[in-house]
Amino acid sequence: MRIGIPHMGSLYIALKSLFERLNVDYIAPPLTTQRTLSLGVKYSPEGLCIPFKLTLGNMIEVAELGADTIIMPGSYGTCRLGYYARTQAQILHDLGYDIEMVQLGVSEQKFFGLLKIIKRLANNAPWPRIISALRFGIKKMNTLDRIERAVQKVRAVEMVKGTANQVYTKALDAIDRADDYRKLKEVEAEYTEQLDRIDRNPEAKPLIVGITGEFYVVLEPFSNFDVESELGKLGVEVRRTTFTSEWMKFSLFLNPLGINEKDRIHKAALPYLKRDIGGDGWESVGEKVLHSKEYDGLIHLAPFTCMPEIIAQNIMPRTREDIPVLTIICDEQITKTGMLTRLEAFVDLLERKRRVGIHNRQAVTV
Amino acid sequence: MVRIGIPRALLYYQYYPAWKTFFEELGAEVVVSAPTNQATLAEGSARVVADTCLPVKVFLGHVLSLVGKCDRIFIPAVRSVQNKVYNCSKFLGLPDMTKAVVPESPPILDIDIDVNRGKRVLYQSIYKLGRHFSWNPVKIRRASLAAWQTYLDYREMMSSQKIAPPEAIERMSGAAGEETGTASTCPDSTRATIALIGHPYLLYDEYINHRLIHRLEQSGNRILTPEIVAEEELEQAVKKLSGGAYWTYEEEVVGAGGYYLQNGTDGVIGIMTFGCGPDSLMMDTVRRHAARLKSTPFMCLTLEEHTAEAGVVTRLEAFTDMIYRKKRKELEICV
Repeated sequence: MRIGIPHMGSLYIALKSLFERLNVDYIAPPLTTQRTLSLGVKYSPEGLCIPFKLTLGNMIEVAELGADTIIMPGSYGTCRLGYYARTQAQILHDLGYDIEMVQLGVSEQKFFGLLKIIKRLANNAPWPRIISALRFGIKKMNTLDRIERAVQKVRAVEMVKGTANQVYTKALDAIDRADDYRKLKEVEAEYTEQLDRIDRNPEAKPLIVGITGEFYVVLEPFSNFDVESELGKLGVEVRRTTFTSEWMKFSLFLNPLGINEKDRIHKAALPYLKRDIGGDGWESVGEKVLHSKEYDGLIHLAPFTCMPEIIAQNIMPRTREDIPVLTIICDEQITKTGMLTRLEAFVDLLERKRRVGIHNRQAVTV
Repeated sequence: MVRIGIPRALLYYQYYPAWKTFFEELGAEVVVSAPTNQATLAEGSARVVADTCLPVKVFLGHVLSLVGKCDRIFIPAVRSVQNKVYNCSKFLGLPDMTKAVVPESPPILDIDIDVNRGKRVLYQSIYKLGRHFSWNPVKIRRASLAAWQTYLDYREMMSSQKIAPPEAIERMSGAAGEETGTASTCPDSTRATIALIGHPYLLYDEYINHRLIHRLEQSGNRILTPEIVAEEELEQAVKKLSGGAYWTYEEEVVGAGGYYLQNGTDGVIGIMTFGCGPDSLMMDTVRRHAARLKSTPFMCLTLEEHTAEAGVVTRLEAFTDMIYRKKRKELEICV
């Protein structure tokens, strides 16, 4: 059995170490490129969103490398995502790949269901080994996200633009290679220090922009043209609440116990949106309301034709708490220049707003 | 008397008779918006971002046309009507979205329909809706039971008499027994039997689909719609094609598609709108199935605001011509 999993941000690093520890033959899909996107677009039904197309592209590329089992995360619910595995399995089948599709639904199979699937995939490895491998995988994910958070802070104020990104790339590589806890700790310490040593502009008072929207496009830099780095280049500090490690922690361990980190966000959204509409629509509205004092602006990322985000996009301009919102629709038609122009205009607007100190009542929707 | 506005869009075609009974039993008057026209669509789409799907734009147009004509507007949020099967986000967000984009609308009556949270929650939410009209739980209970009975009668009428929702609604609301001819005109001279699959709010909204049914019937075809297939058959077809329903109204598309592709029709036309999340996947499932069967021709028409009438007509003509030719050939082979 050779397992492949589509990409989402830097998740593959954690998965790789998880499967290595389980002695499972895991094939990391080639990093997402234009070819991945073209493949995905070519074989997808036209009306589907970019997460479907990119993951399908990853699947085809990993199938070309010889994977015979593909894991597709996504559970039942109002979002289309839960249906994707079935359609993608059909498409791969029609393309002539003999692939077993395993759907990993966190919200329906719960923690133990998930463990069972992992046990099956790991050829019935003993439980202690599975638990320790999982623990290490989660540890790696946490480390990755901690480094990323530090990078987000530095990007906005570094003297030479791009230095933090260079360190980040190296850090990803080093974390990927670290194969025990001690090494991981060393790597983290080393790169945190390197990030600290980067020259910063002492006078910079970066604007704070929140990033919210659909889970996949927020976390997969390829699908949003690495909007965070671009904002960093413009001297903007990025804040986001969506991190893979956070999501794992809550959906696997804390939500079953009745602790939900999103309760606060949902509560904030209540006056405008009373119920969960699937996907991350509720959270998008909630984050705008909740952080309106804290952030200077909000960037709302949504895949084209995403149902929950369209609802959110319609509701967002009408909230009483008003901060400028820039909605960026991500799909295969978006171009880097187009996005940069919009970002620049948005940042100019925020800067002007801060300088003049006026309260601009109008939310920006592009 | 309180006037309750019901937009003639989306779930109207499935549940209107039931809603009407419910509100009338509770002593309210029901006002339905006029059929869709150009203004409805234009006004509706002016309110929302461009990506919003066509049926929702039409729905908002209907809400706008009801402003000033009623005291409350009824917009339910239907999350699920089957176990573990959920509805599209747009239906869930409808009440809140309407409130956000049509601030001048009369107060919105919303109700959460979610059978997955248990009977108790469902009954409670029905009671909460009834409380707007009466404090008396017995009266509300009677109204909801009457509504349920009406709904069953309505479904039964459509599948037994093989008629489409607009006609059934008309018959139920009193004008019964007059003209019965429309559905069964000249059965002998039918040139082809064509099945239409898709959601009722697309099939029966003559403005959005450019009078598709009328056009096909006029050129001598017999039209079959999803409602006239028995529910069990639809469910079976869904199971076969996609391994169990995922969307609430999946049987209208995948179920009907799977059924008609193998049950003696000359062609199947799928109707969907651009940007429809569930349909983009479901139509694809049907299309793949049709491609595998290679027996019944299948065409998918994607509708949107810009669909020009001529474009639809051309595609329809090409499709029906192909079917006629195929039938002629089959006849020749037989001879």
